[in-house]
Amino acid sequence: MKIRFWGVRGSFAMSGREYLRYGGNTTSVELVTNAGERLLIDLGTGATELAKQLMGSEFGKGQGKLPILLSHTHLDHIQGLPFFTPFFIKGNEIRILGADPNSGSSLETTLQNQLAPHYSPLNGLENLAAGVSIETVRPPATISVPGFEVRTHAVPHGSMWTTAYRISADGKTVTYLSDVEYANLDEPPAEVLALAKDADLLIHDAMHADHDYELRRGWGHSPARAGVVVAERAGAKKLALFHHSPDATDEMIDEVVQRTSARTAVPVFAAAEGSYLDV
Amino acid sequence: MQITFWGVRGSYPVPGAATVRYGGQTSCVEARSAKGECVIVDAGTGMRALGNKLMREANGPQKYNVLLSHVHWDHIQGLPFFSPAYVPGTRIAIHALLTAADELNSVIGGITRHEFFPMPLESVPAAFDFHQVEPGVEFDLGSFHVTPIALNHPFGSVGYRLDCDGSSWAYVADTAPFDQVIHKQHFLKGPEPLSADDKVSLEAMRDALLRRLEGVDTVVYDTHFLPEEYAKFPHYGHSTPDQALEICAEANVRRLVLYHHAPSHSDEQMDQIAARYLAKGEAVGIEVLTSFEGMTLPIGRKVDAPERTNPGVGPA
Ligand SMILES: [Zn+2]
Ligand SMILES: [Zn+2]
Ligand SMILES: [Zn+2]
Repeated sequence: MKIRFWGVRGSFAMSGREYLRYGGNTTSVELVTNAGERLLIDLGTGATELAKQLMGSEFGKGQGKLPILLSHTHLDHIQGLPFFTPFFIKGNEIRILGADPNSGSSLETTLQNQLAPHYSPLNGLENLAAGVSIETVRPPATISVPGFEVRTHAVPHGSMWTTAYRISADGKTVTYLSDVEYANLDEPPAEVLALAKDADLLIHDAMHADHDYELRRGWGHSPARAGVVVAERAGAKKLALFHHSPDATDEMIDEVVQRTSARTAVPVFAAAEGSYLDV
Repeated sequence: MQITFWGVRGSYPVPGAATVRYGGQTSCVEARSAKGECVIVDAGTGMRALGNKLMREANGPQKYNVLLSHVHWDHIQGLPFFSPAYVPGTRIAIHALLTAADELNSVIGGITRHEFFPMPLESVPAAFDFHQVEPGVEFDLGSFHVTPIALNHPFGSVGYRLDCDGSSWAYVADTAPFDQVIHKQHFLKGPEPLSADDKVSLEAMRDALLRRLEGVDTVVYDTHFLPEEYAKFPHYGHSTPDQALEICAEANVRRLVLYHHAPSHSDEQMDQIAARYLAKGEAVGIEVLTSFEGMTLPIGRKVDAPERTNPGVGPA
């Protein structure tokens, strides 16, 4: 299984010279199996970059199939939806899977609201030319997606919940824990540890530098050390710090990686936009 | 009066190496009067950096006036990230056209609903008030005199002429040209045939725009598309620099600023566009500039403030 980070930024897309190495696009992560099956997690602005690449393949001819898992519907995770060009080609089959937000609104209604006529000229999901299905996931359900085995769990994120994913293929496992905050950093919930158990790669919310966290406790995001605790307890083989703060320049992220690595035996890196990596 | 560009991109923010000079953030322009009063036009993602600057300058909570052209995401997404909104005592007045929404506060509030953003508008410390604008109905904001102008864009959009300190500029975005397609309150799969009434409406809209722009010093115009791109997407609601030049020439405008750049246009392409239309403008006696993040332009012929017009030395 290969992975490519198309967007690693949290909350807000950052352009400018200080954000070039890690990248300024909001969250979107692509997984590809050895056999070429593909899966996307989240539709932040990073997805628009992947879209350009996909349009050069079967998606440009209306023959693409893609499942997309959403962690939740905060804008930084769905901002790229109206600009994800494979949606505009008839014949493509795209599944959007995610939990209903815990506001009483369904996933489908929420995405329709995003495309409501005052906000978007698309004026509704029905105007997307591709075949698009919106499928509600009910964590801790297991999802079947061609080529991948996907387990889910709901994890607290401020006043809402995000869906965390454990995705396995080709004998490798990636765990995605973005936009999460545990009541006690030193005691991550058992379900979180189960989801990350022996993962080859743990992608974890690291919105805050450890020294900034106290000011932002309760806002729904983790400091870098939260991912370390999960990785160590769950026996994850590698930790990717993810969902970088819009205030974090490349140099600041370098520093967070250095400090975090110094305290753990688990190999740590900061997720960056770029090339395909082997899991 | 002077204006500063905080976001010049259309549709969605585009970070990365290809956009560092012109900038990747979406629509937001700050206008300043000689006295220092501030009016913000559009609340795209450029508004985050503007808010951070205003916070550094502010001495306690302030009142901010925001004029919205319309409420497509690229024109409102910066609002929840405008840091002065989190300072108690701040007042934010939002002026906008009532388009597809029933109520302005519900449509603006809708961008911060639970599903989209962690904090709902009602919990944001700043006090918001909403004012509906109508094309042609003028009003004053401090020493700014504001004239809303109807534009041709899906579900409606409004431009603004701002007169202040003896000079004027206008914000004409987002808009399609006024010949091939008329935008109404429904989704267009492609260009639809124009009825006789449609043609009359388009002509009236164009005439009203020309009247309002007559003699304006600087016009900031939605020039999202190159002509070859426009030919493919005439129903998307955006114009080309050629169409903007035509309007500006008819209205005797001194200077045209290209704005709302397509997300796909890299810095290199923008350099080419800038050079090509500078020359085209010269041929008809109009100075054509291409906006970039951080560009500041004094408005009026008397240039006594420093002018920054070169994106090569733009901000990081
Ligand atoms: Zn997020
Ligand atoms: Zn979130
Ligand atoms: Zn726009």
